Amino acid sequence: MELKNHFMKQKMMTKVLISLIPIYVFSVWLYGLRVLALLAFVLAVGLSAEYWVMRLIQGPKAKVSEAAIVTSALFTLTLPPTIPFWIAGVGILVALVLAKGAFGGFGRNIFNPALVGRAFIYISFPVQMTAAWAETYSSLPGGLVRYGIQGLTNATPMIALETTGSLTAVKDLFLGTISGSIGEGSALLILLAGAYLVYTKTASLTIMLSVLLSGLGFSTLFYLVGWSTVPVAFSILSGGFLFATVFMATDPISAPRDKTSQIIFGIIIGFSAMFIRTFALFTEGIMFAVLIGNSFGPLVERTVREMRATSKAKKEAVNG
Amino acid sequence: MADLKVVARNQITKENQVLRQILGICSSLAVTNLMMNSLVMGLGVAFVTGLSSFTISLLNKLIPQRIRMLIQTFVIAFYVILVNLFLQAYMPDISKQLGPYVGLIITNCIIMGRAEAFAAQNPPLPALVDGFFSGIGYLLVLLVISFIREFLGFGTLFGIDLGLNFTRWTLMVMPPAAFFVIAILIWFTSARTIKAEQKERSS
Repeated sequence: MELKNHFMKQKMMTKVLISLIPIYVFSVWLYGLRVLALLAFVLAVGLSAEYWVMRLIQGPKAKVSEAAIVTSALFTLTLPPTIPFWIAGVGILVALVLAKGAFGGFGRNIFNPALVGRAFIYISFPVQMTAAWAETYSSLPGGLVRYGIQGLTNATPMIALETTGSLTAVKDLFLGTISGSIGEGSALLILLAGAYLVYTKTASLTIMLSVLLSGLGFSTLFYLVGWSTVPVAFSILSGGFLFATVFMATDPISAPRDKTSQIIFGIIIGFSAMFIRTFALFTEGIMFAVLIGNSFGPLVERTVREMRATSKAKKEAVNG
Repeated sequence: MADLKVVARNQITKENQVLRQILGICSSLAVTNLMMNSLVMGLGVAFVTGLSSFTISLLNKLIPQRIRMLIQTFVIAFYVILVNLFLQAYMPDISKQLGPYVGLIITNCIIMGRAEAFAAQNPPLPALVDGFFSGIGYLLVLLVISFIREFLGFGTLFGIDLGLNFTRWTLMVMPPAAFFVIAILIWFTSARTIKAEQKERSS
């Protein structure tokens, strides 16, 4: 049995992996080499799980898709740096076995697997997922030569704002020298990765812009009406909003395919994210927002298609 | 009498009401957070299904076809009320925890299903065995689900603390967990059945 025969190469997925490299380097600098150990562990569990599930579906000719590597790598970036290894393992198992394998494997999943995995452990283990955050290294070489994190803090910029009302400077949010999940920190690096993905035609610019503008629009609206006291720039740059916009909402499998549907899909996500942040108990809402968007995606796509068909039929009736 | 054994075994394995026929799902989702609840609920259902099937089979010739289902429901309701009163009198705590679900046993599709599909065409004794063991099949599935949920969610079994010091899975205590667990069980049992059938066909 040759390893090559059991691996499905996917060009698009390679590009996503390339775009993640700078973010990983930056995260290691912030939180230490444990990030890489965590990634290796998640990959090992994730790929074995994918192979096992695909064997159930396809028999001995089963192939592990490169998308499973992307899912594992993205999933790792959404976790808090202090997460115990076994919880990360449970999350990636849920992602690849329940959210992907159970639906039939690559190309059949209706929800973004990485986010389903994260949502599962987010609700199961709220303490480990939200109570402790890591302080970041701030000087070179920082975490690049150390294994563990610098120390614990109990606040990310969003939690600090909610509990004490202190606003983190926009510059820090943009550069990413802030506590939070492993990969969500640097808006700059995420935007660069997004630009690369759009340039190489890997991810849809329509979805990214639509989520971004919708998030921008609704956070401005909530701020102006007075429901929310969070400044707009902070809303967009803090938490996982940009990360999810660039990497999660654009997942080619679980997002709609035609432009009109993609725009509506983006608006739903942007609205849900800001709505959950403002009105729900959860501090961050983008994870649930993308999952909500995923569940409405097929409905939106079908409605758009049907409306097109009827308007075309009408036109023909008039002309004919 | 070998027939009765086959009827009983099929109800627990091949024709399991929950895993194979996908009946009684609502209550399997609702009462499986604790093993004690599942046990009491499962025994209640086994009691009601067994005796109502028995009674309906006895009354079979007396019931006019057109009001058949109405009478069946009356019979089932009678036994459900017995169970409910028994629980309220002797196990008030569990009765409170199960809440409306004991009364809702009457809406459990398994009971009506057995009455219509089996008891209406068979003599009383096989009907009793069929009904009772379909309830036992239901009970066993409930126990498996609640074992997983109670163990991971509370770290206890039948309310007894196992003294294991591990992180509790909050999700397992919540209703959605029942959906995952039951779906996974159905997935695995169906996959096994399909494989077994393929083997039979090829050999």
